[in-house]
Amino acid sequence: MLELCKSPFFGVALSIFAFWIGVKIQKKTGFTACNPLIIAIVLIIGVLLLFHIPYGYYNEGGQMIDLFLAPATACLAVSIYTKLQILKENWLPILVGCTAGSAASMASVYGLCHLFHLDEAVTYSLLPKSVTTPIAVSISQGHSGIIPITVVAVIFTGILGSILAPFLIRLFGIKDAMTAGVSIGACSHAVGTSKAVELGETEGAMSGLAIGICGIITVVFSMFL
Amino acid sequence: MKIIKQVAIIFSVCWISQVIEHFLPFAFSASIIGMILLFLCLALGILKIEHIQEKSDFLLSNMAFFFIPAGVSIINYFDVLKSNAWQILAICIISTFVTFGVTALFMRLTMKLMKRRKKEC
Repeated sequence: MLELCKSPFFGVALSIFAFWIGVKIQKKTGFTACNPLIIAIVLIIGVLLLFHIPYGYYNEGGQMIDLFLAPATACLAVSIYTKLQILKENWLPILVGCTAGSAASMASVYGLCHLFHLDEAVTYSLLPKSVTTPIAVSISQGHSGIIPITVVAVIFTGILGSILAPFLIRLFGIKDAMTAGVSIGACSHAVGTSKAVELGETEGAMSGLAIGICGIITVVFSMFL
Repeated sequence: MKIIKQVAIIFSVCWISQVIEHFLPFAFSASIIGMILLFLCLALGILKIEHIQEKSDFLLSNMAFFFIPAGVSIINYFDVLKSNAWQILAICIISTFVTFGVTALFMRLTMKLMKRRKKEC
């Protein structure tokens, strides 16, 4: 009976249903912490453990979904391209902010990993955690990090950033929308951007732009590691 | 047919970037090459947004979904996560503060310098 779960249809259908439930829960509660991706992952792991379904069976379908990761990453180009006008008008502060932010993110993670004596694999899994998932995963993969750890850290950072955003804006006394938006995007990528969009149109667009810029800058930095 | 064409365009870009990755003398992720390639195609006018609009909207708006299998594979790394849980938690929290603060600080500094320059001119 269990063998039937080996079909790719099983994994794909389970993932879609789990994600759908996650989206529903987030819409109902409105909590950023109820991230659909986290809910879906927890639900699927629950189902696999409960019915003793081997991970390999689920992954038959999982691999099909993985196929879309590269195309989805490539499409980040479209979202940068549509924001080209704002970038052209404010390129210097945005570029300086994103470069400094990406460097600070990687340096702080690296320093803390050393402080906590984490091994190399975990360190490389955490290094790109402030950038958007597809880019973080590619960086982690390139340095033989543990991809699921990267995914979890990226999502957790995103949720954290979106919850803390209003507090951080007050803490650092930020008064202009552009700085607020770029800072949110730099530290908490797409999940943070969803919060930035709520704060205002400029904040949202700037945060979205910072996702792409910080992503590319982090890739460049990671090449020197 | 419209959507199928768009899928073909985006998948071709991804395939070409894998070919490029193969021939590059240094390690560089194919997904990132794909992103740069697609951006260049748009910026140089080889592709128009309309050529890939629907497909890219679909991929971008469902982005999180495609990471479910990657996240589920944490099931194989429970021990790593468990033994480093609080460290990872602390790192995420501290670096979020640092990243936000440094980004904001440098942007503010740059804008101030630009203003001063304008005044001097």
